[in-house]
Amino acid sequence: MKVTTLDALRSWLDTVVGEYDVVAPRDVDGHVLYRPVATSGEIVFSYERPELSVKDYLLPATEVLLRVEKRGGEVTVEENLADRGQVIFGVRPCDAHGPATIDALFLEQEPPDTYYSHHRARTVLIGMACPQLWEGCFCTSVGGAPDDATHLDVLLRRVDGGFAVDTVTEKGAKLIAGLCVEERDGAPDAPTTEGEAVPVMPPDAWRPLFGDNIWMRHGERCLSCRICTYVCPTCRCFDVADRVVEQGAGITRIERIRVWDACTSTNYRRAAGGHNSRPTKPVRLRNRSFCKFRYYPEDYGPLGCVGCGRCIVSCPVDIDITEVLQDVAERSGR
Amino acid sequence: MSSAEANPMRPYLGRLAGIEDIAAGIKLFQVEMTGPEGQAAFSEYKPGQFAFVSAFGAGEAPFGITSTPRRGSLVEFAIAALGHVTNTLHSLEVGDPVGVRGPLGNWFPMEEIKGRDIVILGGGIGGAPLRPVVHTILDNRVDYGHVTILWAARSPDLLVFTEEFDDWRATPDLDVHVTVDRGEEGWTGNVGLITQLLEQVNPSTENTVAITCGPPIMIHFAFLTLGKLGFNPEQSLTTLEARMHCGIGKCGRCNMGEKFVCTDGPVFWQSDIVGFLEGLL
Repeated sequence: MKVTTLDALRSWLDTVVGEYDVVAPRDVDGHVLYRPVATSGEIVFSYERPELSVKDYLLPATEVLLRVEKRGGEVTVEENLADRGQVIFGVRPCDAHGPATIDALFLEQEPPDTYYSHHRARTVLIGMACPQLWEGCFCTSVGGAPDDATHLDVLLRRVDGGFAVDTVTEKGAKLIAGLCVEERDGAPDAPTTEGEAVPVMPPDAWRPLFGDNIWMRHGERCLSCRICTYVCPTCRCFDVADRVVEQGAGITRIERIRVWDACTSTNYRRAAGGHNSRPTKPVRLRNRSFCKFRYYPEDYGPLGCVGCGRCIVSCPVDIDITEVLQDVAERSGR
Repeated sequence: MSSAEANPMRPYLGRLAGIEDIAAGIKLFQVEMTGPEGQAAFSEYKPGQFAFVSAFGAGEAPFGITSTPRRGSLVEFAIAALGHVTNTLHSLEVGDPVGVRGPLGNWFPMEEIKGRDIVILGGGIGGAPLRPVVHTILDNRVDYGHVTILWAARSPDLLVFTEEFDDWRATPDLDVHVTVDRGEEGWTGNVGLITQLLEQVNPSTENTVAITCGPPIMIHFAFLTLGKLGFNPEQSLTTLEARMHCGIGKCGRCNMGEKFVCTDGPVFWQSDIVGFLEGLL
């Protein structure tokens, strides 16, 4: 295996920050979050699961799509696309699985999304394997693993005195060309993946359960707070709106923005005129669950869940997607 | 940096060439596409397709296109003032710039239904996406059989395209029946639901296609009544409306189970809809 030391990794990262926008795990008031960093000194190298996924850097929570200028009756429209490359360092395997899931819709279904494609193309993902499953994690039940390199460009795994370096893609190899590594015998320890697997029923098994009382049982106590979709690496619903940023002297500057949205919110389906076709919390929870385990795989291929467990630890009323999955499995008689 | 492919979220620029009050709180907007790309995109579109109209500064919203390219290059939308975008559109004047993103979605199978009798059921502003169906029939009259149009609204002042009724009625082998849920002073026409009118008119089902658009509750009962009259789900069409933010299957808003109004529709046969896990009602 190829091994690099923490010091070598740090000095390499300090050369990368000059050339790329670098995002890495940082301690923000006691919360580990993927955040932009200016030096390697800001990066946390020992952490569990960052509280939010990397979704924000590929499908930003708020993104300016267009800059519109109105000058009298004349309008000009400009697209807003970032110029620099982006490196996301310390990505947990599940957080690389997230964008791979979104790719199936935003890249592979026609027409591709201009902005997401652009962010994907300019981004390199340097992963950091998990030594174990954290609280709520179930990646191994949905096709992932704590040391899965599949959707990453480079994977680092902790070993004595440093990190084992696996180069996964050409893009990754190019980026880490300047990283100091030495050849060493042996292999990194396999992660511990104790705990019972969560049963995930195939999309077919879900259809008969559309009218089941599972949704009432789990959804009744939902607060419609939407934290589950906010923390989710694969939830991709969005809203689009205009905001006026400057007005005066015959010139109006407008930004057309895209913001994350959530099918679990009260007014998600409220149409002009007031009709709401998903008026209750159970039917909204049902849609979110069906989207992840039936609609998304049916329509685009991958499951809409990477098993990161963030929705479980974030839910203020303890709605647990693994309990929903258990119920679905039991009701399906499998 | 610019994108290699056309950005589907970027609207074409247009200018309001005409604005007309056509019913209470409903205006007809005629858009002249100002750039060559927009003109090319809207040189051909089909009855039932939709587009997003931008009121820059307020946002954009999807609307069924209510014109046909055969009748002119202006792209028309009938819009009720109901929310932020639509109220802002209503405040605009002739000459003001707008954006248009489209044409999007599928369309009524006007080729496939040639030679058949057609029953059209339009409820309120649901008449907007049906007007291009009517115009297509009128402009190709010999291609279609007997046509029955049932046109309805909650009240007389909400009936759309009434000034075209004379033109429609002057067409051979075409009947127009109008009803309102509630009459008002001076109203001498039918009072009652469109489904009651449908039962009275009782159109033959033989070699007939029914096309309906209106609020979800009307479509629901129109299908029930059509069924009662002997129409099967394979001969009834509708176009659905849903809140949406992209029109290209990404934003997630308009799903009905694993189907999307924007990319699988908005036009559906009733026989398709009955198999969907979730409806819009």
